[in-house]
Amino acid sequence: MSRERIERELAVLHEGGLEAALVSSSRGDCVLYRNLPTRGAKRNLPSVADVIVPVPSGYPAAAIDLAGLTANSALLPHLVGGTNSQGTFVAEGQTWQLASYHPHGNGGGPPWDPMQCGFHTYVDHLLAWLARLNQ
Amino acid sequence: MNSELKIRSDLDVLVRAASPEVDDLLDLAFRRYPDDESGSFAWFGWRETPGGIVLTLASIETPRSGDLDDTVPNICFLPPSIRRAVKAAQEGRLAAAVVHSHPAECHTGASIIDDDMDTYFADLFAGYTPDRPYVSLIFAHNASGQLSGTGRIFWRGEWHAVRRFAVERKSVYLEGYSSSVRLSAHAAERIARLRSAFGEESASRLAGATVAVIGASGTGSPAIEALARAGVGHLIIVDPDVFAASNLERVHGSWDADVGTAIPKAEIARRHIQAINPDCQVTAILGALPQPEVIDAVATANVVLGCTDQHYSRVALSDLAVRYLVPVIDCGVQLEGGGGNVTAQVVQLVRLLPADPCVYCQDMVSNQRVQQELMSPAERAQRMTAAEQAAERGEAGDAYWQELPQLNTVGYLTTTAGAMAAGYAIGWITGRFDPPFLRLQMDLGAPLFGVVDARKQPRAECACRRARGTADQGGVDAFIWPAAHWSPAVIL
Repeated sequence: MSRERIERELAVLHEGGLEAALVSSSRGDCVLYRNLPTRGAKRNLPSVADVIVPVPSGYPAAAIDLAGLTANSALLPHLVGGTNSQGTFVAEGQTWQLASYHPHGNGGGPPWDPMQCGFHTYVDHLLAWLARLNQ
Repeated sequence: MNSELKIRSDLDVLVRAASPEVDDLLDLAFRRYPDDESGSFAWFGWRETPGGIVLTLASIETPRSGDLDDTVPNICFLPPSIRRAVKAAQEGRLAAAVVHSHPAECHTGASIIDDDMDTYFADLFAGYTPDRPYVSLIFAHNASGQLSGTGRIFWRGEWHAVRRFAVERKSVYLEGYSSSVRLSAHAAERIARLRSAFGEESASRLAGATVAVIGASGTGSPAIEALARAGVGHLIIVDPDVFAASNLERVHGSWDADVGTAIPKAEIARRHIQAINPDCQVTAILGALPQPEVIDAVATANVVLGCTDQHYSRVALSDLAVRYLVPVIDCGVQLEGGGGNVTAQVVQLVRLLPADPCVYCQDMVSNQRVQQELMSPAERAQRMTAAEQAAERGEAGDAYWQELPQLNTVGYLTTTAGAMAAGYAIGWITGRFDPPFLRLQMDLGAPLFGVVDARKQPRAECACRRARGTADQGGVDAFIWPAAHWSPAVIL
């Protein structure tokens, strides 16, 4: 894993006012985005969420994929792929559940380009995901 | 007067340089040749290896008007250029270097004037960037017209001599060291036909060369055989796999008795090389690029051949070429059929010089493939299950897992590709010919082999444009890192 590269990408997020950090988990290294806005308020769902994203093996050659919320999050059933669990794991003292969300894998996002994409661009997909709540 | 510095020579210091930077640097160094000296500051990346250090030319601090004192015959940097170099050192992460020429008729060994300059600059840069080496290189043309050089680095409080140069398309005679390898009578006889075709100097260069072959199976094993027979002095063989019965049709040097023994393919290669050419030093590694032990070894090679059908491996080879300035030739084959006929028998050879467009610029990589190749077995199993469950729901399972067809291949095709790659490596090492293509594809079943050169231009924003020669210090621009679940590489 390119810790230096990920730290550069996290610095870009910090410059934009977002909080994100590289964390260890029982599944391997992950990036944890804090307090991302959702559109849940109208439905009495959380208006912000922490989202965890695994660092893929061989990153950046391999594309970033999936997104997880805390396993008990009320948002999960309302998010694309949220009911299709791709595994649970522990990080930062909490259990997280990965949703079947694949923006770079024919999931609506652009093809993965390791020279352009990263955790600093993946946040755009996460924000879109959190804004697109279904019934 | 000759240098009076205490220079150690027990560290394997290798200096790598590639076009276009090395051409520009030598132009600057020889700007006042043959009568007077000239030179430039330059910046090097580096990698510390077991027992040595590899330094890679990354960029040049091209002198501006007034930077050098041209009123004196020796190289003399004036304060504005020194201030700029110090500032660049502080802002960057590379090692500072002074590269200069000596006039004609002078040898390239450092003089006491050079000692004064190098001591001054080593202390100066160490004051600002204490953890980095300081590099000093001197070039000239020797009596026989060869580009001749010497070098020394100041690192961790001691001076070390440069013991090898690996300069793209140039042979640098290293003064003070024996760069010309003498062949034994038996070794010379063994390559008599090659010597008569390519010349004695070529035989010497091959004997002094290191070639790394990544992949010791269908395409790698014939390449290894050709290189061993040509008298290459050191072969580094890297392969993560053990031999299987289905490999017997393609792997040169393998025997029926190897089936079921779980012998590593790299070990088969070593056995085969030593049977052909006992003088050849072999480093066999059970591992894969870009594992650190593998980079340590192959960063010292004159040429690397990519002989795997893994896309992640091509990404790693391209990164190696860009950041560590190692010339790479990647080869592969594809066999297609339909309607009871073989419809395509494609051989592909790709030249990956440090300045060439990388595998991403050349659209040679399937991201899906890379991702699946790099997954851990557990993740792979989970993805496959998810794809099956998606199919049961009537949904596409591609986002989870795509079944990638096993590439069909056959021994005569892989042998053709591997032998051709070895030939171009020999051409590079001997300086006799270059690969006249960027990405050659030929179809053995097509009229005139249907040869095309699928050239692509580099993308301006690609990391391959900015990371050249940055070595470990360009890690932020690395194309790939080893997967965390891989077993550590083992030197056999």
